[in-house]
Amino acid sequence: MYINGASAISPLPVFDAMASGISFIPGEGNRLTATEPAYNNLIDPKLIRRMSRVIRMGVATAMDALRQADVSNPDAIITGTAYGCLEDTGIFLKRLVENGEEMLTPTAFIQSTHNTVGAQVALLLKCHAYNNTYVQRAQSFERSLQDARLWLTEHPGSSVLVGAADELTDYSYGLLERFGLYRHQAGGEGAAYYLVTDTASEKSWARVDRVYTLFDPGPQELQELATTLEQEASGQIDVLLSGEEEMDYNADQYAKVSSILGGGLSVIRYKKYCGVYPTATAFATWLAAWWLKAGKVEVEGWQLLSPRRILVYQADPSGYHSFILLSAC
Amino acid sequence: MNREQLVEELKQQIIEQLNLQVQPADIVASDPLFNEGLGLDSIDALELIVLMQQKYRIKLANAEDGPKIFQSVDTMADFILANQTPQAG
Repeated sequence: MYINGASAISPLPVFDAMASGISFIPGEGNRLTATEPAYNNLIDPKLIRRMSRVIRMGVATAMDALRQADVSNPDAIITGTAYGCLEDTGIFLKRLVENGEEMLTPTAFIQSTHNTVGAQVALLLKCHAYNNTYVQRAQSFERSLQDARLWLTEHPGSSVLVGAADELTDYSYGLLERFGLYRHQAGGEGAAYYLVTDTASEKSWARVDRVYTLFDPGPQELQELATTLEQEASGQIDVLLSGEEEMDYNADQYAKVSSILGGGLSVIRYKKYCGVYPTATAFATWLAAWWLKAGKVEVEGWQLLSPRRILVYQADPSGYHSFILLSAC
Repeated sequence: MNREQLVEELKQQIIEQLNLQVQPADIVASDPLFNEGLGLDSIDALELIVLMQQKYRIKLANAEDGPKIFQSVDTMADFILANQTPQAG
């Protein structure tokens, strides 16, 4: 599966990376807010007024990925989101309580469903193709990628728009912070979309070789999968884009995976740039694709030339583990 | 509140309720709200019905009257003035 267009919005300013490059500065504070572009140039202002931040981020990155790949109407739109459209959900529920379950306005309700981002993209494109949204906590993006791969297997020569989006609102931040989620690493948010096909082109950024997921694996299961990946990559994984946080609950598992993947492996922790959120692997995948396309990994003064393969690994505290292996085209 | 004040209040409320990216001065009270005017659509119509109920305590008896009532800010103001229940006291 080849990435022919990729776009991301995250706390790290990457949306305009093609024009201005990326300055890798870790986020400060306990809550990282996405650096959003000026949407008026990307989305019809008449439509923006109804879109909450997560919808704007999702739609803007989807349109940007399509533009890069020079695709006007994809054959499928697949989206992953764990939290969905939280802002509108909050507005709708607040009004529900305040108005005694009467006189509810439609916009917040319509925009609060989890599939709103994918639906808005389809509406804007007037695209009647397959459209699906996966809501599976920290594997929402991975499930979307797997579905994209299945679609391409069943429909050779087609193109799929696949991505993920999640937002952090004042209310959700307050709740999750109380649960201790952001004790060691800041909360985050973001969106990323990719235009993928089953064949390479001159526009290709990178190839997605493997997407594996595990739930609550034991040491043996984790070892077997890491070993499989290492063998499938012929020992050529140069960088591990690790979801490990400070004082991570799964530190042992991250250490185990990196030790199996070999001594020459460089480990880069990505959550200090985007914060903690369930679909952060979509941002990490964008970073991996960006570096593979550039033929160079460059971050905070460290550099690696001609990376061959990059593995995105996340071991979420909820027990969901995911591995996304990408290689240079 | 006189009619002029009501028209200005309505403009402000429509902007807030529908999150329009315009200023009250940009809305001409006699211009159509839907299609060629402000470009509102059916979802906005539902928002305006709720606005009418919440703010002015006026419930639309017949849905068929909607297009006439919500034709412009002027027609909305006329309808409110004709149907608003006087405040007690």
